[in-house]
Amino acid sequence: MVKLTMIARVTDGLPLAEGLDDGRDVPDADFYKQQAKSLFKNLSMGQIDASRMSVETGPYVFHYNIEGRVCYLTMCDRSYPKKLAFQYLEDLKNEFERVNGSQIETAARPYAFIKFDTFIQKTKKLYQDTRTQRNITKLNDELYEVHQIMTRNVQEVLGVGEKLDQVSQMSSRLTSESRIYADKARDLNRQALIRKWAPVAIVIGVVILLFWAKNKIW
Amino acid sequence: MGTEYPNSPAIPSRPASPFSVPQSSTPFKSSGPVVGPEASAFRHAPPSSSQITPPSSSYGSMVGTEASAFRTIPSGMPNGAARPPPTSGFPNMPPAAGPYQHFPAPQFSSIAQVPPPRTSLAGQPVLWPPVRPVSGSFSTSPVSLNPTQPPPVQMGSPPQSGSMVQPDPVAPRSPIDSQFSAARATMQLSSPTAGSVYPVARPSFQSSFPGYISQQTTAGAQAQPRQSLAFHPKPGGYVPPMPAASSPYFAQQGGYAAPPSVASQLGHPREQIRHPGSTHPMAVMQGLVEDFSSFSIGSVPGSFDSGLDSKVLPRPLEGDLERNTLSEMFPLNCSSRYLRLTTSGIPNSQSLASRWHLPLGAVVCPLAEAPNGEEVPVVNFAQTGIIRCKRCRTYVNPYVTFTDGGRKWRCNSCALLNDVPGEYFAHLDASGRRIDLDQRPELTKGSVEFIAPTDYMVRPPMPPLYFFLIDVSAVRSGMLEVVAQTIKSCLDNLLGFSRTQIGFITYDSTLHFYNMKSSLNQPQMMVMSDLDDVFIPLPDDLVVNLSESRTVVDAFLDSFPSMFQENTNVESAFGPALRAAFMVMSQLGGKLLIFQHSLPSLGVGRLRLRGDDIRVYGTDKEHILRIPEDPFYKQMAADFTKNQVAVNVYGFSDKYTDLATLGTLAKYTGGQVYYYPSFQAAVHKDKLCHELARDITRETAWESVMRIRCGKGVRFTTYHGNFMLRSTDLIALPAVDCDKAYAMQLSLEETLLTSQTVYFQVALLYTSSSGERRIRVHTAAAPVVADLGEMYRMADTGAIISLFTRLAIEKTLTSKLEEARKSVQLRIVKALREYRNLHAVQHRLGGRMIYPESLKCLPLYGLAICKSIALRGGYANAQPDERCAAGYTMMALPVKKMLKLLYPQLIRIDEYLLKKTSLAEDSKDKGIWKGLPLAAGSLDPQGLYLYDDGFRFVLWFGSMLSPDRVKNLLGENFAADYSKVSLRELDNEISRNLMGLLNKYRESDSSYYQLSYLVRQGEKPREGYFLLTNLIEDPVGGANGYLDWIMQLHRQVQQNA
Repeated sequence: MVKLTMIARVTDGLPLAEGLDDGRDVPDADFYKQQAKSLFKNLSMGQIDASRMSVETGPYVFHYNIEGRVCYLTMCDRSYPKKLAFQYLEDLKNEFERVNGSQIETAARPYAFIKFDTFIQKTKKLYQDTRTQRNITKLNDELYEVHQIMTRNVQEVLGVGEKLDQVSQMSSRLTSESRIYADKARDLNRQALIRKWAPVAIVIGVVILLFWAKNKIW
Repeated sequence: MGTEYPNSPAIPSRPASPFSVPQSSTPFKSSGPVVGPEASAFRHAPPSSSQITPPSSSYGSMVGTEASAFRTIPSGMPNGAARPPPTSGFPNMPPAAGPYQHFPAPQFSSIAQVPPPRTSLAGQPVLWPPVRPVSGSFSTSPVSLNPTQPPPVQMGSPPQSGSMVQPDPVAPRSPIDSQFSAARATMQLSSPTAGSVYPVARPSFQSSFPGYISQQTTAGAQAQPRQSLAFHPKPGGYVPPMPAASSPYFAQQGGYAAPPSVASQLGHPREQIRHPGSTHPMAVMQGLVEDFSSFSIGSVPGSFDSGLDSKVLPRPLEGDLERNTLSEMFPLNCSSRYLRLTTSGIPNSQSLASRWHLPLGAVVCPLAEAPNGEEVPVVNFAQTGIIRCKRCRTYVNPYVTFTDGGRKWRCNSCALLNDVPGEYFAHLDASGRRIDLDQRPELTKGSVEFIAPTDYMVRPPMPPLYFFLIDVSAVRSGMLEVVAQTIKSCLDNLLGFSRTQIGFITYDSTLHFYNMKSSLNQPQMMVMSDLDDVFIPLPDDLVVNLSESRTVVDAFLDSFPSMFQENTNVESAFGPALRAAFMVMSQLGGKLLIFQHSLPSLGVGRLRLRGDDIRVYGTDKEHILRIPEDPFYKQMAADFTKNQVAVNVYGFSDKYTDLATLGTLAKYTGGQVYYYPSFQAAVHKDKLCHELARDITRETAWESVMRIRCGKGVRFTTYHGNFMLRSTDLIALPAVDCDKAYAMQLSLEETLLTSQTVYFQVALLYTSSSGERRIRVHTAAAPVVADLGEMYRMADTGAIISLFTRLAIEKTLTSKLEEARKSVQLRIVKALREYRNLHAVQHRLGGRMIYPESLKCLPLYGLAICKSIALRGGYANAQPDERCAAGYTMMALPVKKMLKLLYPQLIRIDEYLLKKTSLAEDSKDKGIWKGLPLAAGSLDPQGLYLYDDGFRFVLWFGSMLSPDRVKNLLGENFAADYSKVSLRELDNEISRNLMGLLNKYRESDSSYYQLSYLVRQGEKPREGYFLLTNLIEDPVGGANGYLDWIMQLHRQVQQNA
C-alpha cells in the first residue's frame, strides 16, 4: 500500500508536488512527512549519494528514486513489494518529466507542480492492490535490479546528516573559541608589555618633563 | 516666532520630544534675521506683509496695527480705547466666515490694549532679562517681539474660539500649557506670547503636518492644570470686559499648532511674520466650513422643537461618504477597500481613548474586489525568504526605512534595525531611497502578495473542494431543480482548473451517498439508514476530481431532482448528514454548501420549534432564541474550522427552521447564510441561481488565517464577524472571498503613546484556487493625535457604523433587542455629548445640536441600525429566521454594502424611463440618480420609484401613475395582483429601459442578486411589508422617525451636557 508520495527538487530540497489526501490512514502521517522532508534536506546537502534507496522507518519503508535532479519518494508498508514501489516511482517520473520537465529548474515556489497530485492519486490507485493482474505481471518482470538497491534504517540515514552537522558545529565552535583564545593571548601579551615598560616610560617621561620645566623656568 | 523665545528656557527640560527642539530653534533662526539684527527692520516687516496679502484686507490692516502696537508697547504706550471692540467682536464668531473676517480688527485693538496692563503687572523689563540669556544674540529682538505677540494672541483667540478651537480644543491646550509652565516660572507675560505664535502656525499646520500635534500635546499634557490656574488670572487682569475667561485661553489652543508651519516656512522669516495675518483668517474660514456647517444644519437655534425641518437633516444620499484624508496623508497606505479605520486619528492616551465613545477599530476586507488596473501585485522572494522584522514579525512594507547604505532596514512598527539579506540588498541613492525602488512593489504599494515559502505551509496547498449537502425531504418548491441546474452550469467555472474536487450527499430520513468514480457511467447511490453511528461507505470516490468524473457528475445532477420529486418523506436527518459530510471532507477541507429545507428532525442535532413562542419576547430569555440551541452545532463548527471546511447555509423554508442554530455553522467557519423565505422556483429562481453561482465561482482563498498587527502600544482586542479565533489574535478562515469583511476593535496598551504614527498591517495567509500559497499584506499608517477634536475630524462614519452594527448584533445574542438598540443610541448620545462638551464653552450653542461634519450621518445610520431587520421591533416585526439570517449576513458585510443595506437608495425612475437616451450616456450622467430621503413624503403618487438595498429591488407604482405606462411595463395583466406579476422585458422602450436600468444596478454590485418586487401604492399588506417598513425615516410601528430620533438624541445629549 502506498501511503505517501512526495516529489522534490534535489538541488535545494524544494517540494514540487505531493499526493492528494496523503496519509489518510496513517496515524502519525505528519511525523513521517517530517522525516521525508529531512531526508530531502540531507539529499540536497549531498550527504547521501545513492540515487536509489529504501529507508526503513517504523512499520513503513521510504523508497526514493532520484532522476534528473528530482527526487521521487514514496512511503509504503514494509510488506509492499519493493519492485512495485520502484515501478510506481518510475511511472511518476515518466509522467512528471513529460509534463513539467522543462520547468523543474525554474520553479521558484514550493509545490509549483501541485497539479500533478491528481496524477499521483490516479497512479496510486493502480498500485494500491498488489494482487491485481496488472501488478502481478509487473512483479514478474525483471525491469530493475531491485535487490541491488540498498536498504538502510532511517536513523542511520538521517543520523549521517546529524553527525556531520555535529562535527561541523563542533569544528566551528572550535574555530571561534580558538579565535577568542588568540585574542585573549594577544591582549595578555600587550598587558605584560605595558607592565614591563610602563615604569620605565613614566620615569623617562618625568625626567623629560623636569628637564623641560627646568628649561622653561630658568 | 517671537513667542517661542519664552519657550527656549523650556527646551532643555523636554529634550525627549524631537519636535519641540526644532520648533523652538527654527523660530530663532527665522526670526533672528528679521528681528534680531535690529528691531526697526522687524517693524517694517509686518506692514509689508499686510500689504502683500490682499484678500484679508481687514486682517492686514490689523497686522499693521499690530506692528504699530508692537512699537508702541515697548515704549509703554497703551491703546486703551480698544476695550469695547473686543467684547463686541466676540459674539460675532459663531456666525459664518464672512462676519468673522471683520472681526479680527476690533479684537486686535483689544489686544493692543492688553499689553499695557501687563507691563504694569508683570513688568516686561523684569521678565525679559531672564529670557535674554537664552536667546543670546537675539536679546533685543525678544523685547520688541514680545509686544507684537500679544496682539495676535488675542485676536487669534476670538476667532479660534469661534472656529479654530473646535477641531481640536483638547490637544492644543496642553502644548501651550507646557510652554507656559516653563515660562511661567519666570514670568507670566510669556504665556500670551506663546499664544500668539500658535494662531499663526495652526492653520498651516493642519494642511502640512498632520502628525505633528500629538507630540507637543504629550509634552504639554502634564502642564495643563497648572496653566489654567496661572492663565486665567491674566485675562482677568488685562481684559476685564471679556466675559469668557476661556476665550483667550482657547485662542492659544487653536493657534498652538503653529510650530510646524514655522518649521515648514523656514527661511522665509518675513513670510512667517505675515502669516499670522494672512493665513490665519483663511484657516479660520476653513475651520468654519469644516466644523460649523454641520451644526448650523442640526437645528434651528432658539426654537428647537418647532423649527426643526426634516429636510435639512443630513442624509447619505450620495451613498457612502468616504473621506480619504488618510490616503492623502499617507499615500502609500493600502486602499480603503481593504482596511478602514473608524477614525484615522489614533488617540495617544487611554484617557483620550476613553472619551471617544464610538468604537475604535477597523473594518478589514482582505480580498475586496479591486478595479481593473489596481490588482494587488505579487512578489516572489524565492530563496531570500520573506523579509520580516525579527521582533514584531511585520512584513516589509513601504514605510520601512533603509539605513547604513542599504545594509539594514528599520522596522516601522517597532523600530528594530534588521539586516537586509544579501539577495535583497540594494544601494541607496542620495536621498536615502533604494535605487531599485520602482522594481519593488512591496516598497511602493500598500497592498502586496508574497508567494509563501514552505515555512508557511503545514501541508501541500489543498485543491478547491466543493461539497453539497442537500435536503431532499418532500421538497415541492422546485429548489432541487434550480440548485442542480445552477451547479451544473457552473461546473466549467469552478475554481481550481484540473484540481477541483466535488462531492454530494443528500438526505431525508436516511443519508444518500453517491459514488462518482470516474470509471462509472452513472453515479452509484448508497443509502444509509443508521443515523446513530454514521460511517463512510466508501473510502474514496465520494469526493472526486471534477475533471475526471465530469460525466458522472453531470449525470448525477441531471437525475437527482427527478429522483426525489415524489419524495414524501418529511423528516430531515441533518445532524447525521453533517457528520458524514465532515468525515468525507475532513482530509482536505473545502467548502460545504448546505441546502436545508426544513427543521432538522432526526438523529443528533435535532431541533425543536422554539421560535414562534411569542411569550418569550420582551423577557430576559428572549435572546436565547437567537443563539444556537444545541451545542452539537458549535462543536461541529469548531471541527469544521479545524479541518479547513467553510460552511455556507442556504435556508429555504417558509416555516421555522431555526436558522439561529444552523447559522452557527456558517458563523464559526467563515461562511455565509443565505435565506430565501418561502422559496418558490418561479419567483426566486434568478436570485438563487445568481447567488449560488457567485458563491461557488467567485475567487476564494482557502485554508487561510488572518492576523492584523499594529505598532507598539496598540493592540487589537476584540474581533467581530464570521470566523473562529485560533489564538488570541489569529483569525482562522477556512475560506474567504471578496464579500466578507471582518471588524475589530483596538485598545491602547500603554497609557501614553509616544510615537507619532501607528502602523497597521493585515496579513492573510491563504491558498489560492490555483494551488499557490500566498500572503496578502495590507499596510496602513495612521497619525496619533492628542486631541479629541482631531479624532472626530478624521472619523469614518462607514467604518464606525459597520462596527456598531456588528456590536449591536452581538448584543442581541446576549440580551433583548431593546437593549441592543438602546446601546447603539447610548453610544451615539455619549459621542455627541462629548463633542458638544468640546465646543459648548466657546459657542453659544443654546438649543443647537452639533456634530462633527465627518459624523453627520451617524445619527441616521444609528436609527437605521435600530430599524434593520436584525434589530427592529419585537416578535411581530420580523420572523425569527429572517432576523437571524439578516444578523449573520450583516456580520460579514463589507462597509459599502452595509451602508447601502442600512440606508437603501430610493430613486424616482419614471421620468428617466421616458427619456429616449441610451444607457451608456446615462451612466456618465450621475446627476439624476440622486437618492431621495427614505420617507413616505418622498413618494409622489404620480411616480414610479425604485428602492434598492443591495439585496432586492422594490418597484413602487404610484396610484396616479398613468395606466399606459404601467401597462407598458407590466404587460396585459397590469391590473392584477402584483404579487403574481413578474417583471420581464416587453417590446417597448420603457420596459427595455427599466430592465436595462435594473441590470445596470445589479452589475454594479454582483455579490447578491436583487430580485424585483412590485408594489402598488395602497396595496396591503405588501406595500407595508416591502417598502413602508423600510422607509426608516418614517415613524413605523412605534419606532421613531428620523425627526423624533434626532430630537431624542438631542435631548439626551443636553442632559448633563
